[in-house]
Formats: sequence, C-alpha cells, structure tokens
Amino acid sequence: MAKVMPSLVAVALSTVIVGCSPAQQDPKITINTNPYPSTYQILPNSTTLLKNAIVLTGTGERIDDADVLIKDGKISAVGQQLSAAGAVVIDAKGKWITPGIIDVHSHLGVYPSPNAESHNDGNEMTNPVTAEVWAEHSVWPQDPGFNRAREGGITTLQILPGSANLIGGRGVTLKNVPATTMQAMKFPAAPYGLKMACGENPKSLYGSRNELPMTRMGNMAGYRTAFIQATEYKRAWDKYDADYAAGKNPVAPERDLMKDTLKGVLEGDILIHNHCYKAEEMAMMIDLGKEFGYHAGTFHHAVEAYKIADLLAENGNCAAMWPDWWGFKLEAYDMVLENVAMVDAVKNSCAVVHSDSGVTIQRLNQETAKIMHNANANGFNLKAEHVIGWITANAAKSLGISDKTGSLEKGKNADVVLWNTNPFSVYAQAEQVFIDGAKVYDRQDPAYQAQSDFMLGQE
Amino acid sequence: MTLFNKSALALSLSMSLALVTSAVKAETIAIIHATVHTATEQGVLKDASVVIEDGKIVAINPLLPTADTIIDAKGAILTPGFIASMNDLGLVEIGAVASSRDAYEKEADVVFDPSLAYNPKASSVPFARKGGITRNVVSSGGGEGIFAGQTFTVDLSGDWDSILAANTGLVVALGAKEEGSRAAGMQQLIHKLEDAKKAQAKKSKTKKTAEDDSEVPSREDEIIHAVLAGEKPLIIDVDRASDILHLIKLKQDLGIDLILVNAADAVLVADKLAQANIPVVIDSMRNLPESFDALHNSLENAGKLANAGVKVAIALPGDSHGIYALRFSAGNAVANGMNYDDALAAVTANVADIFHLDSGRIAVGKSADLVLWSGDPFEFSSKVQKMWIAGEEQSTDSRQDKLRDRYLHKTAMPEAYSR
Repeated sequence: MAKVMPSLVAVALSTVIVGCSPAQQDPKITINTNPYPSTYQILPNSTTLLKNAIVLTGTGERIDDADVLIKDGKISAVGQQLSAAGAVVIDAKGKWITPGIIDVHSHLGVYPSPNAESHNDGNEMTNPVTAEVWAEHSVWPQDPGFNRAREGGITTLQILPGSANLIGGRGVTLKNVPATTMQAMKFPAAPYGLKMACGENPKSLYGSRNELPMTRMGNMAGYRTAFIQATEYKRAWDKYDADYAAGKNPVAPERDLMKDTLKGVLEGDILIHNHCYKAEEMAMMIDLGKEFGYHAGTFHHAVEAYKIADLLAENGNCAAMWPDWWGFKLEAYDMVLENVAMVDAVKNSCAVVHSDSGVTIQRLNQETAKIMHNANANGFNLKAEHVIGWITANAAKSLGISDKTGSLEKGKNADVVLWNTNPFSVYAQAEQVFIDGAKVYDRQDPAYQAQSDFMLGQE
Repeated sequence: MTLFNKSALALSLSMSLALVTSAVKAETIAIIHATVHTATEQGVLKDASVVIEDGKIVAINPLLPTADTIIDAKGAILTPGFIASMNDLGLVEIGAVASSRDAYEKEADVVFDPSLAYNPKASSVPFARKGGITRNVVSSGGGEGIFAGQTFTVDLSGDWDSILAANTGLVVALGAKEEGSRAAGMQQLIHKLEDAKKAQAKKSKTKKTAEDDSEVPSREDEIIHAVLAGEKPLIIDVDRASDILHLIKLKQDLGIDLILVNAADAVLVADKLAQANIPVVIDSMRNLPESFDALHNSLENAGKLANAGVKVAIALPGDSHGIYALRFSAGNAVANGMNYDDALAAVTANVADIFHLDSGRIAVGKSADLVLWSGDPFEFSSKVQKMWIAGEEQSTDSRQDKLRDRYLHKTAMPEAYSR
C-alpha cells in the first residue's frame, strides 16, 4: 500500500501541531483483505528440457526447432541448442509448445458436473447487488471438469459467479491443479475479480419479481446506487485511517462485506469482469467507471465488441469473446465470426477468447482456430504466434497476472503445454501439461492423469 | 473456380441427346478433377468427375463428362452435403424471445407436427450452410410428457419449399426426470406400443366377421401402427445404459425401427446395440459426467461405438444456431479414435440411412447435395468453396457477413448507411 508513507508523515505532523499522545489511541482497525489465503504448493518437479519443438511464446513470436528449459518452476530459457545438466529431456520434434492456456471465464466448481441442485452454487439470485459473495466459497474442487480442462491445456482459470445480478460477487483465479481444498488451488497473489452483468439477465430476473431492475435504465441505476454507497464507505474508512494517522482516536466505520468489495474496486485492487454483450452498454459501463473513478476492466461475452473496437482500445478495456455463440438471446444476435479479430486489429487492443463452458474450456485452442481461419478467409492475415496471445498473454493481462504467467519468457511461471501438432488443428491434443514446472498431465502416462474423487469407482 | 465452356464435342453430344429426350432440358453440371469422398464402398475417388442433372447425381466418372457447366475442382475434396439431425434449426430465431421460438410445446404429444412452425428464412439457416450442411432432420424440443411429436426433414436451401417430408419419425424422451420416476415414462411407452399391438391383433381376428368395419383410426393410432409396422422410426432420446437395455428388448419384442439419440452411456452396451442393429445419434463433443445418467460421456465414444459395429450419426442434438460446427465434431471424433471414413459417414451416409433420406452419398441416383471444400472438411483451416442442394448452387453468405463488412469498411458516414 502506497498509503503508508503519507500517513507516517501525517503522524509526525500531527504530533507537532496537535501534540496529543498516540498512547490514547485504541488499536487500529484494519480490514484483512486476504482472509482465505492460498495454500498452493508446487507439485513435484524437476529441471526439464523440451527439445526441438515449434514454440509459440505468447509474446507474438514463433521459434522453430526451439528448446524450452524449465528450472525451479520457472521458464529458464527459450532458444535453440539449449542444454542443462541433469535435466529431464523430452524430445518434442514435430510438436508444438505454447504457454499454459488461461480461461478468464469459467464456472467450474461452482456449476460442476454432474449438474445437481445440490451443487448449483454459482448465482446468488437473492438481490441484484451481491458484491458480498465470493465465488471461491462455492468452489467444489472435485468437479471432474477441472481435470478435463487440464487435459485441454488449461493451467489457470478464473471462476466467476453467474450473471443473474448487476453485481454478482467476487471471482477467484485458480491454478488448475487437483486439490481437496479451494485454497490449495488459489493462484498466489492474483488480484480478485468482481463480476458485473449488463443487459438481459439481471433485468429479466428481477423484473419478473417486480423488483428493480426491470429495465436497462434500472440496471444503470442499480450500479450507480451501489457505487455511491461504496464511495461513502470508502470515504468513511479513508477518514478513519487519516484521523488515526493524525493521532486521533476515531471510531472505525461499521464493516460492510458488500461495500468492502466495492471499495476494493475503487482502490484498484479488484478488477472488473463485466458480462456485457452490447456496444451501447459497454460504452456506458466505461463511463460508469469514470463516474466513480475505477477502471471498467474486461467485458465478457462481448458479442458486439467489434462495433466499438476503437473505444475499447482507447480506454484500455479487454474484451473476452466466443468465436461463434449467438442467437440464444437478443443481445447475442449480432455475432460475427471475426469479432475477436476485429477487436484485436486495433492498436493497444486486448482481445481474449473465453469459454464460459465446461465443454469448450477444454478446447480454447480450437475456439481460437475457428476465429483465425474465418478471419483469414475474409481479409485478415493472422498467424498462430499472434492468436495464441488471445488465450495466454491477453488473458493473463485481463486477470492481472501477466507478470507471473501467460508467456514463455525467462522468469515467468513455467506453465507450459506440449501439443502433438499445430494447436490450431482440429486433430491437436495436449500431450503434456506443466504448471510451475511440475508435470500435471501426460496423455501417454496414467500416472499423470488425475481423476476426481467423484469419478473414482463409477461403473 | 474455373468455369470451362463446353467443348464442341460436348455441345454436339448434348444437342443430340436433347433431340432424343425432350426439347426442354435441365441444366447439367459436371464437377471434374475432384477428390471425391463418396461415403460409399467406393471410398475416395481421385481425379474423378461427378455429373448432376435434374437435381440428381447421374454419372460418376463417365468416359467423357459433358455438361452445360463444367467446374474444375483442381483436386479439391468433394463430399456429400453434410446432414444435421435432431436439432431445432428453423424453429427458433432467438432462444430467449418467446415470440420467436416454436421448438418447445408444453402439450406436445404423439401427433404434434413441428414442421408447421418451420421458418426456412430463419437467419440461422444460411449460417448453418457455412458448415457444408445441406439437409437437416428437425425435431421439436418436446414438452412435459415423454412424446415430443414428430421429426421432419428439410433441405437447407432456405427456399419456401424446403420441407422435404413431415412426420417422418416419432420422438420420445426418456430417462432422468425433474419430478417422479423414470419408470413411469418407460412404462408409458411400453404400454402404448404393446396395447396398440394387442388391439391390432384383436381387430384382425374379428375383422373376418365384420368386413365393413368403417371405423376411422385416430391420428395417434395411425402413427403408433406405423411405428409397430416398422414404417416409422421410433427416435428415443435417452442416456443411461439401464434404460437403453429396456429399449433393446422393446425392439426385439416388437420389431420396430429404433433410433437412439444422445445415448451418453451407450458405450457400456455397445455390443448389444450393434447386435440389435440399433443406430445411435451422438453428440461427440459431450465429455463431462453431466448427470448420473451420463457418467461415461467421452470424446472417444463415437469411435468406440463405431468400432463395436454400431451405426453412428454425429449430431448437435437440441442446438439451433451452432450446427454449422458439425464438421468440427466429426474432426474431434477422429482426433479421439474414430476412423476418418466412419466420421465422414457419421455426418453423411449414416444419417441418411438412419433417417431414410435419398442423400448422403455420392452415388448415381442420389440427390445432388454436394460440397466442394478448400481442404480437409473437418479442419478449421478449410471452408466451403461451393455447395449444391439438389443440384442448385447455394450461397454461404449470411447476415453475419453483412454485419462484419459494415464495421470493417468504415466511411465518414455512420455504419447505418452501408449495406
């Protein structure tokens, strides 16, 4: 926190001016921003050298006949003719290597398989603003979908609450390792996300109950009301902190779980992930962020992002999109198969391909392939080394973890996928998957094929 | 594509032929130098030619292909048009807009005929053509009961007359229920068929004494009788293997034409299905244990069933707007162990066999539903170069292309001014 320094100054000043003694202060009340901390441990790993592959680095580069050296859980080197004493050497000739695939939009664990009322824990449909709920508290780590996703190369994923509410609650970023607790999957030091939703879902759910929001204008009123409250709440805490720092003995504001989260947004610690299909609504959500002084973050399911690609890039918003989902709602009617490519074509853009599906999360490489090839048939000239960024580097940027994963750069976490062929072929399969340098999946070796407790012994 | 003018020889031949047959001759098309995936025992024919006339395939590799239009495929792959099945295409414009959807009918029953709701102008129809799909067996989403009405067959031309046949098969949904026991549904079906059979038997005994029996059978009875006679397939959407075993027995007892749809756990009883000659329409992309009826969903299931000798069709059951991706389902099946030719048959010949259609193969006499591909039809990098439905060339352009172009090619004026 950058706040520490000015407050120290404030303390020093206040002793001079006011001259009151700090000894009369009650203990400082602080909000624990990490009460359910990650207990993630890197799985057993060794120095590994993958040799002679076609490497897509995630930074726009393709290197043929290249080696990837993994050491101490990190990418140690990417280049030709590498060697390392004592390394496990994997012959990857004719195969392809990419960074681990990242899905910014998943409901695995909160809407797990099998679909059962007992496990429908993704949507707290009891109030249009439920910023107080955290998706991590719903995650069932035994969802067999995590294993299927890993077999498709998914190493990191954000689990979000559903889109029934205007503000649905916090999302959590997980490492896709098999575990018995959520905390053991939790991506260390990844920022929280906040799920918001535009359009049809909130208004139709609450409208059908004769509650606000019943309309899109009701949606906007709902967000604004919540952020007005959050602004007041933040002001109260800021005042408390400042007064305390000034040597006074203020009474701390009453804790409010809902406003804690929105305060985190206003302070830039929690990133917005906004289910928002339509061009005009995304434009308003960008302005909403400006109205209250936060960044509007990533637009998910952004079916109409191609209509406002410039606006998104100018404002630094990522758009997370499907290749071809459409027609299930009116707000998903104006789909174009080149949406992602059109968003991506603008300077400073951040195009992401996401799944929102336990099925397609297993094939984000194929979802990306659909877009690349459709776009190339219609005047684009997209290459594998570029589009891989839509499901790696850009996705990491959207989640605020691009300093840790999303590309094969020296020092980054060794989240790596070895593919049997070009990952943008329909016949491609992930052969081996590494998370932090630890092998977590091997298509040829049952010892590295995790199975959920739920599936064990099912006949 | 290069269009060759007909040669002088071809001209004289066709003129003399015209004199022999009739003065008005339908346009003929010859596709030459194609790599023809016939979906028949002929397999793949290299550098082959296919001649189309009057909407039918009239010749394959004739000595001298002659036609009004000759298309040089330059080695490109020609396949039968792909056939989708058991989806809602044309019954729903937008899923969440009540006034635009006709797939679900609460009171659907045996006689329910959803073809009366089909809209060939639905915006999803040209989009589906992008996937090389030329025909579709449409099913309703059913209703509260087990009977989901009847299937109908359409071509994907989008023409007003694109319904080829209505009331082609009776659809039943069995298995897990939100309320009550699955046994009730199974029992209802078995009783319906057995009772109708008994009634028929009784009637034929008494008929000799009452020759002037003029009683008109109910519509429902007519349909059930057609099912019992094996004239109309009984199409059952079911997942759990224990349910499937009951249905295998039902087929053996009654001799009906039975088709299974979805059949997630069919893989557990694959040999029995093969033995009973029961085909399976499968969504080959299902691979999550979605329910306790479907714990064995796997990308490998399509291949495993085919290898066990089951006739497999690959489909996207219940979908409407996404069926263009059918070819990718077939590709994934191949990636997960299905033989390539089996996968091609699973979107062409097998679908035709299962639903009794006169397309799905490149063979003389079959409907000229054909697709010329830029590469492997299952690959993302390939696209439809040309396609024909009953000999008529089709466009794959859709509303989506217009939207793309409008926003790709910006002008000084708002997008609304560009078409």
